[in-house]
Amino acid sequence: MADLQKLYEAIVNGKAPDAKALIERALAEKVDPQEIVTKYMIPAMDEVGRRFEANEYFVPELLISARAMKTGLGVLKPLLTKSGMKPAGRVAIGTVKGDLHDIGKNLVAAMLEGGGFEIIDLGVDVTPEKFVASVKEKGATVIALSALLTTTMTSMKNTILALQEAGLRDKVKVIIGGAPITQQYADEIGADGYSDNAAGAVQLARRLVAA
Amino acid sequence: MNPCERFIATMQYQPRDRCPIYDFGFWKETLPQWGEQGYPTGAKPDDFFGMDPPWRGCGANTDLCPAFKEEVLEDRGETEIVRQTDGAVVERGKTLVSIPRHISHALRDRETWEKDFQWRMRPDDPARFPPEAVWKKRVAEWTRPDRDYPLMIGCGSLFGRTRNFMGMERVGELIYDDRKLFDEMAEVHADIAIATITKILEAGVRPEAASLWEDMCYNAGPLISPKVFKETLVPQYKRITNVLRKYGVDIVWVDCDGNIERLAPLWLEAGVNTMFPLEVGTWKADPIEYRRRYGKEMRIIGGVCKRMLATTPDAILREVERLTPLVEEGGFIPLCDHRVPPDVPLRNYVFYIEQAKRVWGKNLPNLRPTAAGLLR
Repeated sequence: MADLQKLYEAIVNGKAPDAKALIERALAEKVDPQEIVTKYMIPAMDEVGRRFEANEYFVPELLISARAMKTGLGVLKPLLTKSGMKPAGRVAIGTVKGDLHDIGKNLVAAMLEGGGFEIIDLGVDVTPEKFVASVKEKGATVIALSALLTTTMTSMKNTILALQEAGLRDKVKVIIGGAPITQQYADEIGADGYSDNAAGAVQLARRLVAA
Repeated sequence: MNPCERFIATMQYQPRDRCPIYDFGFWKETLPQWGEQGYPTGAKPDDFFGMDPPWRGCGANTDLCPAFKEEVLEDRGETEIVRQTDGAVVERGKTLVSIPRHISHALRDRETWEKDFQWRMRPDDPARFPPEAVWKKRVAEWTRPDRDYPLMIGCGSLFGRTRNFMGMERVGELIYDDRKLFDEMAEVHADIAIATITKILEAGVRPEAASLWEDMCYNAGPLISPKVFKETLVPQYKRITNVLRKYGVDIVWVDCDGNIERLAPLWLEAGVNTMFPLEVGTWKADPIEYRRRYGKEMRIIGGVCKRMLATTPDAILREVERLTPLVEEGGFIPLCDHRVPPDVPLRNYVFYIEQAKRVWGKNLPNLRPTAAGLLR
């Protein structure tokens, strides 16, 4: 019988091939895919996030755990879609207009995906209009904005203004992050939340969609 | 005191006439932005602001030798797709200063290391040095008895280059997928550093400092764990710093960037004793706190918050006064914690430099005048 505690450990320890093999074995034994995700895989990524915030894990450990999670989800996704499992939320994520930096954005996207969110990755140098369109056309419930530079962080404010002008501000939560960003800045521009790291962004997004 | 003597005295906590007044440069947009605020077109910042002559570098090529050929692969209007000299293909803004977006990297695994990189990373490649005549001329300048500027020898990078060659995502995975290769690459970078600096030091050059660059921290801390850093990088740093110390080069700095809190003690352990530029950032690093924690063994360059420079003259004056005891103690050269961004008004920067010269420079006649009179 598949030992799903080992799947949890495989993801925490970033062992992608082990995770894949354990999932395939569980599926062969007719274990419910939703149970695999919600009882073992998402809690594993939560533990990864906890270790990251406790300075036990660093970026490489996040990366290999996220890779193991992604590998596992690759096996499960068709079955999850079929079963009608709903994501924790739909996050449109991007680096704001004027900024081409994407490492932080990619890490946050990987952790959010590992946390059960559906990701719409808008890429880098994303205009406020594209973020607006992601809400209108793709039903994003969370917008995650990343900026590396003090000069591009103003695009975050422009994106929030664009959402207000489009009459969508109350339909979506806006979270922000990046090297120059602070909680104070998030408050100033009317963002719903700020996190200084990728693991914290998952907890923040969960709190906001549950509110 | 000449600039070289002043630099040595500052970094070695010896008596001196005043603190050196330096900056670390400006974002690409800053000077054009300041042009609208009265900054003369074409003026050199060091001359305009009356800064002290900065240190100059000496060294050889510690990078890929030969490098990849840089070429524009596609013009996308505001951006272009470029193959860089490190082999990476990036999208970069023609006017934006943002870090380019990496599309692919030439170094991916052991196979690409052996095929495309190893032969470019030979420590003893003569092409790391210029032709003999040029080299002799350089050495003559660096060993000139009346040289009055501080000389800094470049030692390259142990992690930063690997990260640039592979991308952070891939190098993060490599640490777990093929740790041996990660370790091997760090060793090769150290071999190159040792081969090049040894030749320079054996030629009689005696720099006042040595530099490494890593850019390996961000707002939440180091890009790799302190454990991996200690196991893989510290021994390689030690090999380099041992050579430097053998030739009397005591001041070794690392261009660190970001929140260095967790790596700072390991750099010290490795013989790297100067943090440059200590970035204040959103994590509020404070040079005074670093001195309290690590004592005089750690020298600091930087520590003046660029965000603060964008606020008010009162805030600038308060910060200059707050840092003054540390400046007076020595082992600290204050400068804007990274390059000056364009949202710092020119008037604020002039005010900052004038206060720095008044308080840290004691308004001594050997300071060059600030050309700020042009603005009034």
